[in-house]
Formats: sequence, structure tokens, C-alpha cells
Amino acid sequence: MMSVELIFGPMLLAPFVYFISRGAEWVAKWVALTLFIGLLAISVDMYQALPADGGFLFLGEFLRVPGFDFALTLQVDALSVIMLILTAALSILVVFSSWNEKHQGAYFSLLIFFAGPIFGVFMTTNLLWFFIFWELVLVPMLFLVGYWGGERRVYAIIKYFLYAHFGSVFMFIGFFLIYQQTGHWDFMTVKEAMIVTPALIWWFMFVGFAVEMPLFPFHTWLPDAHVEAPGSISVLLAGILLKMGAYGLIRFVIEMMPVESRHFAIYIVIIGLATTLFAGLLAIYEKHIKKIVAYSSISHMGLVAVAIATVSYDGLSAALYEMIGHAIVISPLFIIAGWLHHKTHTWYVDEMGGIMQKAPYVSAIFVLAGMAALGLPGTMGFVGELTIIVSAIKEFGPWIAVIAIGSLIAAGYVIWAVRRALHAEMSPVVAKSHFDMGGFEFMALVIFAFFIILFGVYPQPIFDMANSAFKMFGGM
Amino acid sequence: MISSVGIYLILPYLGAVLAFVLGKMNEKSAFWIAEIVGAILFGTSIYLFMTYTTPIDIDYTWINYGGIQLPLGIYIDHLSVVMLLIATGLGFADIHFAHDYMGEDPDKPRYYAKVLFFIGGMILLVIAKDLIGAFAGWEFMGLASYLLISFWFKTKSAANAGMQAFLYTRFGDIFILAAIGLLYYFVGNLNMVDLNQMANNGEIDKTVALVTALFIFLGAIGKSGQFPLYPWLMNAMEGPTTVSALIHGATMVNSGIYIVARMFDFYAYTDALFIVANVAALSAFIGATSALVQKEIKKILAYSTMSHLSIAFVGLGVGSLAFGMLHLVNHAIFKALLFLSAGAIIYIAHHTKDAWKLGGLIKKAPYVALFMAMGSLSLAGVPPFSGFFSKDGVIAEAILHGGPFVSIFVTIAGLLSIAYITRLWVLVFMGEPRDEGINGHVHSPGNIFIRLPLGILAFVTLGIALYQTNIVDYIVGHPVEEPHVKGLLVGFLVGMAILFGIVVGLYVKGMNLLQKISQHRFIQIIHQILFNGYYVEAGITYLSKNVIVNGVAKSFRWIDTNLIDWLVNATVPFARGIFKAFRIGHSGKIGDYIGIFAIGVAIIVVAILIIVKGV
Repeated sequence: MMSVELIFGPMLLAPFVYFISRGAEWVAKWVALTLFIGLLAISVDMYQALPADGGFLFLGEFLRVPGFDFALTLQVDALSVIMLILTAALSILVVFSSWNEKHQGAYFSLLIFFAGPIFGVFMTTNLLWFFIFWELVLVPMLFLVGYWGGERRVYAIIKYFLYAHFGSVFMFIGFFLIYQQTGHWDFMTVKEAMIVTPALIWWFMFVGFAVEMPLFPFHTWLPDAHVEAPGSISVLLAGILLKMGAYGLIRFVIEMMPVESRHFAIYIVIIGLATTLFAGLLAIYEKHIKKIVAYSSISHMGLVAVAIATVSYDGLSAALYEMIGHAIVISPLFIIAGWLHHKTHTWYVDEMGGIMQKAPYVSAIFVLAGMAALGLPGTMGFVGELTIIVSAIKEFGPWIAVIAIGSLIAAGYVIWAVRRALHAEMSPVVAKSHFDMGGFEFMALVIFAFFIILFGVYPQPIFDMANSAFKMFGGM
Repeated sequence: MISSVGIYLILPYLGAVLAFVLGKMNEKSAFWIAEIVGAILFGTSIYLFMTYTTPIDIDYTWINYGGIQLPLGIYIDHLSVVMLLIATGLGFADIHFAHDYMGEDPDKPRYYAKVLFFIGGMILLVIAKDLIGAFAGWEFMGLASYLLISFWFKTKSAANAGMQAFLYTRFGDIFILAAIGLLYYFVGNLNMVDLNQMANNGEIDKTVALVTALFIFLGAIGKSGQFPLYPWLMNAMEGPTTVSALIHGATMVNSGIYIVARMFDFYAYTDALFIVANVAALSAFIGATSALVQKEIKKILAYSTMSHLSIAFVGLGVGSLAFGMLHLVNHAIFKALLFLSAGAIIYIAHHTKDAWKLGGLIKKAPYVALFMAMGSLSLAGVPPFSGFFSKDGVIAEAILHGGPFVSIFVTIAGLLSIAYITRLWVLVFMGEPRDEGINGHVHSPGNIFIRLPLGILAFVTLGIALYQTNIVDYIVGHPVEEPHVKGLLVGFLVGMAILFGIVVGLYVKGMNLLQKISQHRFIQIIHQILFNGYYVEAGITYLSKNVIVNGVAKSFRWIDTNLIDWLVNATVPFARGIFKAFRIGHSGKIGDYIGIFAIGVAIIVVAILIIVKGV
């Protein structure tokens, strides 16, 4: 089975694609599309090959340096393969939705490069290599936002960079302290060696991942980064990079230090709850359409944090479902928000209005995804919310039912945004704008909408995968 | 039997998609697809009703995650069959009626798709066995209601009304979501049939039962337009009248009553029913008094809907499942008739909704006048129309089993219904036309699509009066003794006659007197309070706008920009400061360099010593 090639292949391929596409720009996107479809197929194949008992599938050890525990150990379990599938599938849709992007050669080369480290993050169990890939993911993201972004893109990327490094420093200190404790860099050996973990390590690691998720009060990089990023890069940010934080939290905090995590769970819950409510209310107050979506995204990651905090079989399954659901629900909202700005040249919902008359189908998909964001039954949002509420109450007692307020707040910002941007009379700005969308972009939106409903009505396939990922937490 | 469940679960949504897609190709096909789907659904309900022997009971695990099973079962018993007949029957009539009413609208495919989606949601609610399924149907209806109220989203008022409806009902709904979580935690069961059974056996903790019952009732308050979440129902009249008839008059607003009836034993287990009765009695009074002074035809009917739903709630609240449900059934039918009649009036009067601008329409539309009169008499509770039996039963039960507050308020509300509905009928049909510009253009309604459904509904309103005891038996499963209160019937009839006399006298002959009365300052204040629905809407708007959005949310925004971002941005001057501090070292003097070098070496040596010794 291919393993290390999946990581370094795209990274080496990217410069070639860039040089080839200087002559023929259209090459880049087709290469990217083929690559991501291939990656998706390989990931699905990997899922089939997973051992039935829920353990790791060993893919190999590379770049071994004698005397150092520094080998690139690649092994995957259900959790990481699900993240790989999500990454590959979402990247395909990102390619579709940026089909008519400008400077295609560079854009898609960066996208191809991006696939390498992100696969590395999800595939390696070596802490040092994880850290290296984690940092490498930032590079293409910074260029993508910094070059294709909006007016304040430089401020946004510097802020993002500062935040990300703030988190990385904590994470790295945590990793280093673990190495000091155990003398190993590998997840498997570390996990067995660390029976008692000092609280300090736990907190360093938690803060490191909380920044990337992002949880309150480390969230302010996200609205700025999203606002300046083009719509399809927002999809990468929200759909994959935030999941990287959640994945790290599950793998290197919850799985590695379950005892401490149960001990400190109440803090994660409070932070998660604060994130959900704080970000939701900010979204209500906001007039900037992409910031509304960005705060909504943060708000849902708060829910994920609450679910992760349960440190239980069912809670983590619910968290994984909500992570996937969040990726599928929030992506069309970001794409459409970016598209609306592109067409109307305004960000503010009160300057829009009546867009539904001019672009009924895109607006309908916005409403559908918005309904999923507020947790309407029949969509992915509801299943995530329901399972999280049930699991959280089971773990923390009845008071956590206050989390339902989050879905009322969500209703507030979604419906109000729809009312101001899409309904009512056409504003002068909208009346003189021309709303058209390319076929591939629209197709991406339709695919998102299809999955929102499909997995909202029939969520069991995802839960089957999630169940196999967290078997070791269950008594079953 | 099982195949009918399949039809219920798939056909409405399939029909909605087909109506939209095919309707986009050929406008007329949208109506016919909707009509056929509506007919099949109604036929299925009749078939179920005819062949019913034992409850259909299907268990299904929807989500199985980490040791938790979330169920989504189907359960169809007598109560469900009655609700199915109402939902599909009135849905079918409404679709039929819409052929003319929505005839000139360019967005017919969208309209019929949404209506079919709504019917699907209502069906899902009443056939669900578990709270999750019921909640799903509940929310589908909420979405359909939102989409249909803001059907003409080009106008701001319709868009606002839709938003308001969604948010008000959503406020109640999150409590149902919380109740689902709590019930799973404390009871481990979300099956409404089992919950009733467990309540009967006393297996549930009383506090848990009370709290969850009240949480679910909060959802019902939102959906059924009870105090204090009713203002959305009045503004929902911005939608097409056919939508008001189906969703905000006859079917969706009943779902709150249905859910309490479905979990009746669970509610009866604790004091929850007492609270239901009191909230409902207050709402009945508010609705009935506010209906007295409204100007728009549809708003009068909306307040009367609120009031009558409350009467049905009071029936449940004082412990009579039979009469509460009977009133729901009767009300659904005559309210559909009244709303569709209103629709006919609005249609022939070119979308004039203000009753004060009409008048004397009996000459132009005698049949509509007749059918509407039959609906009005039933609503007023005049024997032998159906409304009489159920309303009388509920009031008698309230006097027997409810406290003084409940019995007085519900009696007043019951009596006042004749006043406001007579006022409406008289204003529209009697006297001289008040606005010649509108009256001149009034045309006669068509036969097949306007008069026929009205006539059938009027016939059913009259005919169903014969089967009142059968309906009660069918729902409850055993004969129910009719409550008797001495002198109630006579007092009620006399009261109604007096009110009828006053209204007819004032609005037909005594317009001058009416004018004089309404000049009085005190009357005007009362009029303003009633006309604005006791200012509940203003209060809620003030709270949400000034406290939530401009209070809490704004202060959070302040924290976000002035505290967190300030710290982030402060890193730049901070780094610059450090840079400046270290630049002192770059002085170019060799002595300084040596000094700093020595300090650095010392730090490194100490650090190495600590690490080596420490490890």
C-alpha cells in the first residue's frame, strides 16, 4: 500500500505542475483534480484494509536515523482514515469551486502541495514529524490567503501566523516535556509509558490544539483569516484546518492522556460552551456576511469540544460526526458568502437584500445549509446536535442541556441573515449586480447540499465509521 | 398497512420534488401533481381508518453510536388516524382550493412543493412513536411554515413575519430538544407510548416528569400560539390565505395540542396539566378579547384560532382528553372552512383584507356567505353545529374540575366567540358597501375550485355534529360520559343571544352609536391594548433587540475587539519594545559585548548543569 508517497509525492509534484502550467494554465486544475480523486480512492481503500479490532494499520517506518527515535512512523486507525477521506473529498470540491480562480498555475500548485503535509499530519504517529507537518500545512495556506485574499490579507495572515505559532509553541513544549518524561517520540510507546501525566503537559497540549480549533479565547484569528481568504480557501480552513486541531485534541490529548482528560474535562466543557454561546451571539451582532459564517463555524467547533470532553465512546463518535457535518455544512455557506461579495462588492448584509429574486437556486442552497447550521432535522446539523446533547447530558448531568440555547442563537443569526441578505426588496446594490455562477462551482454546491440531506436522513454510515474509531473507549 | 407507512414517509417529499421540477417545465403540472399526491395521501388515511384493527407499531433504530441507540419508530393508533384524516383531508381540500386562489401567481411550483413538504411534516409528527421523530416532523412544519409565510418574500412585511414565526417557535423548540436529552438521561426511553405506560406505573421521578413535561409544553406554546409566544401567529397572516387556512388555522397549530394529548398520561402524572390549563385559559381570554377589535379578516380569525386552541388545551388541562381532542377536530374543520371562505372573499375582492372596506357582499357571493355563516355558527357554539358540543363539553369540564381562574376565563372566551365572529360576518356581508372602488370590481367566485371545497367543508361541519359521541369513543377507546353542569346550557345560550343582539344591533343599525362609543377616551385605551394584542409582541421585541442584541451581544463584541484583539495586536509594540531593549547591547563598545557574552555563557552553563543534574 502506498504510504510515504502520499505525503512527499504531492510536495514534489507541486513545483513541476507550477512550471508546466506556466505554458498551459488549465493543466494545473486537472492535475489537482486527478490527484485528489486518487487520494480519495486510496483513503477509501485504506479504510477497507483497517484491522477489524479497531487498532492501527501499520504502513511503515521511514527515514530512520540510528540513535534517534526520529523515524517517520506511518500508521493509521479509523479516526485518521476518516480524516483522510474527508480531506480528499473536500479538496475535490474545493477544486470544483475554484475552477475559475485567477493565476491558476500557482493556485492549484499550492493546493497540490497542501495535500502532502495534511496527509502527513493525519498519518504519522511520531510527535516530531506530526509537528513538522503541522507547521508545513501553514505554508501553502499563508500563500493562498496572502496572495488570493482580500484587502486586509496581510494583517489577516500575520494574525493567523502569530496565533498558529502561539499554539505551536505550547504544543511543542508539551511534546518536548513528554519526550523528557518518556524518552520516546512515538505515540504508541508514549501512550503506554505515560501512566501518570503531569497536569502541566496536559494544559500545554490542550492550549496548543485549542488555538487551532479554535476555542474561546483564542478564536479571533479565524474571522479575519476567513474574511480575507477566497471562498474556496475558507472551505479548506474551516473544513480541514480546524479539524486538524480537533483531531490533535482527540489523538494527542484524549487518547494519549485519558485519565488527565477526564480529570480536566469540566474545563473543556466550560470553554466549549463559552465558545458556542459567545461566538453565536457575536454572529447575531455581526453585519459582515462572511464573519457571520465564520462565527457560526467557531460556534459549532465549541459543540465539538463539548463532545470531545466527554472522553466516552458515544461522545467522541458524536464529535467525529459533528466534525464531518460541520465541514459539509459550513463549506457551502463560505463559498456562497464569498461569491456574494464577489458579485455585489459589498460584505454587509444590510446593503444586500432581495438576492433570492436574482439568484434563487444559490440562495436556496444557502438557506438549506443555514438550516443545517441551526440544526434542523433532516440535515447533518441536527444529528450532530442531538447526539452531542444526549452524550453530554449523559456524561455531565442535566445542566449541560443549556447547550440547546446554542441552536436558538444559531436560528437567530441564520434567519436574520437570510432575511436581510436574501429576502425583501432588492437593494440598489443588488439591482445593478449581475449574478452568475460557473457550472463547476454550482455543481460543488449541489454536491454539498446532497450530502447535507443524505447524511442527515441516514447518518448511520458515518456513525459506523466513528464507532470503529473509538472502540477502545467503549465497553462493548 | 405497512405499505401505507411507506406512502406517508416518501410520497409527500417525492411529490414536492416532482411538483417543483415538473412545475418548472409546465406550470399547470405543479397543481395536478400536488392534487394527485394530496388525494393519494387522503385516500391512504381513509383506507387506514376503514381497515384499522390494531395499532401499527414499527421499531427502528435510527442512530446507533457508541452504545447509545436513538430510535425512530412509527406508531399509528386511533389518535394518529384522526390526526392523519385531518392533516391529509384538509391538506387535499386546501390544495384544491389553491388552484384558483394561487392561479395568477408565477411561483406555483414553489408553492405546491412547500405545501406538500408541510403535509409530509405533519404526517411525520402524528405517526412518530418517539420524541425524536415527532420533533423532526415538528421542525419540518416549522420550516414549511417559515417558507410559506415568507412566500412573497419580495415584500418586507412577509419576510419579517416569516422570520418572526420561525424564531418564536424555535424558542419553544429548543426546550423540546433539551427534554429529549433529559428524558434519555433520566428515563432512558424516548418512546411516547412507553413514557405514558411508565407514568401510569409511577416509574418516573416526579420532578423529572414535571420538568420535561413543561419543557415539551413550552414547545407546544410556541407552535400552538399560546401566551406569551402568540404574536407570530397574527403576523403569519402575511402569507397566502390558503397557507393560513391549512397551517395557521387547521393543522400545524394543532400539533401542540396533539403532543400533549399523545403524552397525556405522562402529563397527568404530575401537576403539568394544571399549568397547561392555566396558561391556556389566559391565552383563550387574550385571544377572544383581541379578536373583538381587529380590522383585518384574517387577524380576527387568527386571534379566534388562538382562543379556540386554548379552549382545546383547557380541555386537556382539566383532565378531559376526550373533549379537548373533540374540540381540536371540530375546530380544525370549521376553521379551515372559515379561512377558506375568507380566502374566497379576499380573492373576489382583489386581495382586500380589511373587513371595514368591504360590506354588502352577500349579494355578490351568496354561497360563500352561507358557507361562512355555517362555519361561524359552529365556531360560536350554536347548537346543533359541531362546535357547540365540544365547546360546551370543555367549559362544563372546566367548571367541574378546573379552578375558578380557568373556569371563568374559558367561559368568557367561549361566550365572546359569538361576538367577534358575528361582527366579522356582519361587517363583510351585511350593510352597504363601504368602499365603492373595491366593491365595483368584485367578481363571482368559480364553482369547482372555490365553492365546491367550501360546500364540502360546510357539509362536514354540519354532518360531523351527528357523530360527536362516536369520535370521542374512537379517540379515547371507550364511551365518555358527558359532563353536566346545572344551568350552564341555558345560561350559555342566553349569554350568546344577548351578545349576538348587541353585535348585530351595533354593527348593522347602530353605526352612529358605535362611533360615539369609540370616541370615549377610556374605550380608546382599551381598544389600543386589545388591538395590539396586549403589547406582548412589543415587549418581546424590546427584550430581544435591546437586551440580547444590543446588550449582551454588543458587550461580547466589545470584549472581542477591545480585549482579546487588543492583546493580539499588542504583540507588535511589545516585540518592538524588546527589540529596542536589546539594541542597547549593540552599542559598538567592546566592553559591553564582553559583558553580555559573559552573562550568556553563565546562563548556558547554569542551564546545562540544571538539565544534567535534573535528568
